[in-house]
Amino acid sequence: MAEKHTITLTVNGRRHIAEVEPRMLLVDLLRDELSLKEVHIGCEHGVCGTCTVLRDGASIRSCITFAVQADGAEIRTVESLADGPTLHPLQDEFWAKQGLQCGYCTPGMLMRACEILAHNPDPTSAQVREGIASNLCRCTGYQYIVEAVLAAAARMRTGQNATHDVEVRS
Amino acid sequence: MTTIDRPAPPPARTHKRDRRWVGQSVRRVEDPKFLRGRGGYLADLVTPGMLHAAVLRSPHPHARIVSIDTAAAAALDGVHAVITGAQAAELTDPLPDFGPDPANHVWRCLAVDTVRYVGEGVAVVVADSRYLAEDALELIQVEYESLPPIVDPQAALEPGAPLVHEPLGTNCAYERSFDFGDVERDFAEADLVVRDRLRWHRSGGQPLETVGAIADFDHGSGQLTVHTNSLSFTSYLFMAAASLRIPANRLDVRQVPAGGSFGSKLFVTKPLVLAGMCSRMVGRPVVFLEDRVDNIANCDHHGSDRVYDVELAVMRDGTLRGLAIDVIDDYGAYIQFGVGHHGNALAQVVGPYTIGSVRYRVRAALTNKNQQGAYRGFGSEVNNWMLEQMVDKAARELGMDPVEIRRRNFIRDFPYFIPTGNVYDSGDYDAVLDQTLRLGRYDHWRTEQKRLREQEGRYIGIGLITCAERSVFSATEFWFWFDEPGAPVTSMPESVTLTVDATGGITATLYSCAFWGNSPETMVAQLVAEEFDCDPHDVSVAYQGSRNGLPATGPGGSRTTVMLAGAVEGATAKIKAKARRAAAHLLEADPDDLEWADGGYQVRGVPDRRKSLGDIAIALHLFKHGFPEDIESGLEESKVFDHPYTTMPSADRKDLGVFYPFVGHACHIPVVEVDIESGAVRFLAYAAVHDCGTLVNPRSLAGHILGGVAQGIGTALYEEYVYDDDGQLLSSSYMDYLIPSAMEVPELAIGHVETPSPYTPHGIKGGGEGGRMMAPAAVNAAVNDALAPLGVRLTELPMTPERIRAALRTPR
Amino acid sequence: MKPPPFSYAAPPTIAEAVGLLAEHADAEPRVLAGGQSLIPLMNFRLAEPSHLIDLRNVAELSGIRLDGDVLVIGAMTRQSQIEQAPEVAIAAPLLAEATGLVGHTPIRNSGTIGGSLAHADPAAELPAVALALDADLVAAGPGGTRTIPAAEFLRGPFSTALAADEILTEIRLPRRAGGYAFVEFARTHGNFAIVAVAALVELDGDRISRAALALTGVAPTAIRATAAEDVLTGAVPDDATIAAAADAAVSGVRPAGDLHASAQTRIELARSHVRRAVTLALHRAQDQR
Ligand SMILES: Cc1cc2nc3c(=O)[nH]c(=O)nc-3n(C[C@H](O)[C@H](O)[C@H](O)COP(=O)(O)OP(=O)(O)OC[C@H]3O[C@@H](n4cnc5c(N)ncnc54)[C@H](O)[C@@H]3O)c2cc1C
Ligand code: FES
Ligand code: FES
Repeated sequence: MAEKHTITLTVNGRRHIAEVEPRMLLVDLLRDELSLKEVHIGCEHGVCGTCTVLRDGASIRSCITFAVQADGAEIRTVESLADGPTLHPLQDEFWAKQGLQCGYCTPGMLMRACEILAHNPDPTSAQVREGIASNLCRCTGYQYIVEAVLAAAARMRTGQNATHDVEVRS
Repeated sequence: MTTIDRPAPPPARTHKRDRRWVGQSVRRVEDPKFLRGRGGYLADLVTPGMLHAAVLRSPHPHARIVSIDTAAAAALDGVHAVITGAQAAELTDPLPDFGPDPANHVWRCLAVDTVRYVGEGVAVVVADSRYLAEDALELIQVEYESLPPIVDPQAALEPGAPLVHEPLGTNCAYERSFDFGDVERDFAEADLVVRDRLRWHRSGGQPLETVGAIADFDHGSGQLTVHTNSLSFTSYLFMAAASLRIPANRLDVRQVPAGGSFGSKLFVTKPLVLAGMCSRMVGRPVVFLEDRVDNIANCDHHGSDRVYDVELAVMRDGTLRGLAIDVIDDYGAYIQFGVGHHGNALAQVVGPYTIGSVRYRVRAALTNKNQQGAYRGFGSEVNNWMLEQMVDKAARELGMDPVEIRRRNFIRDFPYFIPTGNVYDSGDYDAVLDQTLRLGRYDHWRTEQKRLREQEGRYIGIGLITCAERSVFSATEFWFWFDEPGAPVTSMPESVTLTVDATGGITATLYSCAFWGNSPETMVAQLVAEEFDCDPHDVSVAYQGSRNGLPATGPGGSRTTVMLAGAVEGATAKIKAKARRAAAHLLEADPDDLEWADGGYQVRGVPDRRKSLGDIAIALHLFKHGFPEDIESGLEESKVFDHPYTTMPSADRKDLGVFYPFVGHACHIPVVEVDIESGAVRFLAYAAVHDCGTLVNPRSLAGHILGGVAQGIGTALYEEYVYDDDGQLLSSSYMDYLIPSAMEVPELAIGHVETPSPYTPHGIKGGGEGGRMMAPAAVNAAVNDALAPLGVRLTELPMTPERIRAALRTPR
Repeated sequence: MKPPPFSYAAPPTIAEAVGLLAEHADAEPRVLAGGQSLIPLMNFRLAEPSHLIDLRNVAELSGIRLDGDVLVIGAMTRQSQIEQAPEVAIAAPLLAEATGLVGHTPIRNSGTIGGSLAHADPAAELPAVALALDADLVAAGPGGTRTIPAAEFLRGPFSTALAADEILTEIRLPRRAGGYAFVEFARTHGNFAIVAVAALVELDGDRISRAALALTGVAPTAIRATAAEDVLTGAVPDDATIAAAADAAVSGVRPAGDLHASAQTRIELARSHVRRAVTLALHRAQDQR
């Protein structure tokens, strides 16, 4: 077995020091060592986007990134979105608009949406559509995802961030 | 025509008018955990210490396994077991197979001495990690002796073709021709017979989460506990147990949410049996979770793969008289569901039209490909496509407008028995068509089409299809093929338990109904809320594993919502009967004087003499002596709800009985532009109107239409498991198996028509498969419309740029 | 689908990286850039290098600068950075346009320009850009650095002029006046192109004074369509000239067909996309005046 390497990375604001085999994929580090099960695996060859996380603010495929490549990086997963019981506007709008069915693509989609809105807080529907084309969803046909991202963008622009998920109802 | 003696339909229901929750697009109760990435999918249950299995796949389409040397793999550090197909055959029995003649095409979890498709498993490794398991796979030496592969389904049926299963003596696993109605007369009297050959290539569900199982065998108790994302676990449990050679009551299958299924997780035994076998061998929990290549190349569920020769008997005025279908279906190397896919087609073989007779000849070909299973539509979507192609061709040959020919033939009297014997419960096809024409701005696009063709030389096409959308299957479709079926199953129940706790809180327990992206919890919560006047988000929903499970069938054939509605209704009636008695006692009133109002029982006309469900529940839970002796403590009731309307096939199979009675309808109008230079197809607009009876949650039904259309677009334009002439699988990754992204899928305008079913609670029909049952037909129609000025019709799906270019090079 | 084991180092300098390549020569060492091609191959176990030398710590390999009229891009510069860099938009808009077509943003956030060129996928966009722009590729090896013209760099599918112990360090793209266009045909958004065309045209009055065309999808590597360039150069462009150039571009090419497009379809696609690319480049050239 190849020699292990010690890496330091910040994940969702927490610093981690991990001993990893060089071949360990970032997705497996996050899931298996750090218990961040929200980072899903769909294809393991970079196409589907279910494993999308943010590295230093930029979306990447964690299934085609070695954990050692993330040494020194700041990683964000969907865990970083909600503030305790309060959902992030993107999460809340995905819920309101039914931007998910099975939920498997959702964490990756949400992280990609974060990046899209960070670059362009007021995108058109066409821009959102093209932006999320990086991530496959097999359930929704994407329309309600686009609607959710646009609705979240509008809320984020006006600073209406907080929604308590147990208060929101039908 | 033979007169058929049909049992009377069940009494028509009257549906409550003012509904508070059924019909509301409430937020789904399932979602918060998924939004936080805490869905608890199968892979999320893997814990340190579990062992990982990986399967060695055959690189050959057809070969004899001469020898397998596993010594180096077994010697690798961290490897716990290496099991070859031959060893697996000692440890397990064949996998369940409803195909004809299963003993002559034995299907096992690993190939024993012959591999029959690229990807078929030949050995499994169990190791400390998936990484190590894959390292070990590379060390297994297999010597193969190539056998000639058979890839083309028509060639497979030729005499002298290489045999996929020697004992069967043929590659034709099933052949039969059925006549329904007077086919000969209808064809003899026809003014015109429209003929075509149509080809539908295979694609598949491809959920983003693959299929797997975590098995934990306890040698102490002989108990095998399996967590799996396969859906229909209750009904097939005993068969999986038999494959594993353990008593069914020692197998406990627990469902976990599935990251999509679309049929492909309906009923999956291979991963379960592999994981179970491995766990029993090593005495530790083992996870087997397919990787994406497994899921493409060695799964249980590729979709339909058909060659059609069809004839449609037509009158000059556009009346459709008879339909003669001759279909070869390429089942791949095994045939687990028999030709049930064609039963599905027969449920709505004439679509929404008053076609009087049908001849249906089906041949099931075995080839060196991964086997077929289920994919959203289960074969009915292929029939829809075939029929709409034929109707369009008839319209073209008659010089009729596609709208006109359809209107002329619509079924308008319900219930309506189609020639195969299935019933269509209700519908209003004109209303659906009218709404789609408006929503899709049909006239506008016809004008635009002409303008753009004349002024800019662009090829715009408008597709228009009107199709049936059957729901809630009966198992007869799996066996009415045979005169002496091995397992003529007729039970397909679904069960729900409702529990009212001492505070009046309601929990619904579901059986054999895992979550896979549909909304069983939301549906049940809305239905319960409707019955008990509470907020759906206050209803708690639990899933029960196979242990202590009530009879259940599981999802499939768009049955979940209707069947759960029936079970909820039945359990509610029992709860309310008991609550009424209890309330009467508490109010010192006659039970017959009480009425249910606003979440409790009150004395009719005296709203302040009432007991809420909470008041009643606490009394029933805690104050036994306050009630007559025979009232049991607690408030919990279950309902096993059987299919509300099925009948048996006739002995001569001239009538197949009622087996898919709740038949919705849809009209789709996509507008596409074909780039004739490249063969690329782009959407300019897309309208879809569905009638699935009464809607429970309109937005979630629309979501299913949207998702189904995206998949249907994949089927129409992008997705294909491509096997080359030598049987090699060329599309074994997502680089080549192309799933539509947001840029390939248009924005849809969606409309709903609600024609309630007379036979189901609230009038609900199933709608889970609708989008994909329509879109392939619709997109094909649109492309053909675009290319009509060039005299070109596409008759093969998917319509890849290559196929479109090839068709344009050779105009008809 | 998990990668095979390997040993790993992430040296801070080019010299050390080159040294490690030599030191591990027996272990089939590979350089790791963004990993967006190499890691999928390893996950499929189609590539099994025993030693990886990760260039991410070599700061000198990243960056975009103008050296007179030459745009210099470090091999490890991420594709997303190139796509957004103002220098690239000005000095090599063809590269910016083509880079936007490489996969999707999450791929380009990791993938590097050097990785794409060194990987030399015959369907990749960036080798065609390097060819069309007559880029120079700078390689560092044990004996120092050398400059390889793009035309000599691409040897075949997944094969380049880089020696086993060399590292691609930078790409030098001469600034070109005139119009540009990168046009491709891919089956789905962000997928590898079936056929792609890079076009550059300079106008002198009404006449084309210089044309450069590079194609992917019709040969084992990206190729320059010199016959088409000859048709265009000196011509006053009209539909007939452009059509003639498109014909010239595909005359003599013998593409291999695959599951997405037969040889014939590739030729047809190349022809129509040369026409589209040249037309767009001409429009842009005219707009500039
Ligand atoms: C889903 C998906 C879609 C994609 N779509 C496209 C597409 O449409 N078009 C396209 O062109 N590409 C596409 N790619 C590939 C992507 O662009 C890669 O980024 C690129 O091909 C390789 O760059 P990299 O930095 O990731 O290199 P790596 O993967 O790290 O390396 C690739 C190869 O180059 C070698 N190498 C890398 N850098 C150097 C160097 N400086 N010196 C010497 N050798 C070096 C490596 O040893 C390796 O052999 C796609 C990839 C994915 C996963
Ligand atoms: S799992 Fe990473 S892109 Fe599919
Ligand atoms: S919600 Fe199921 S894959 Fe997107």
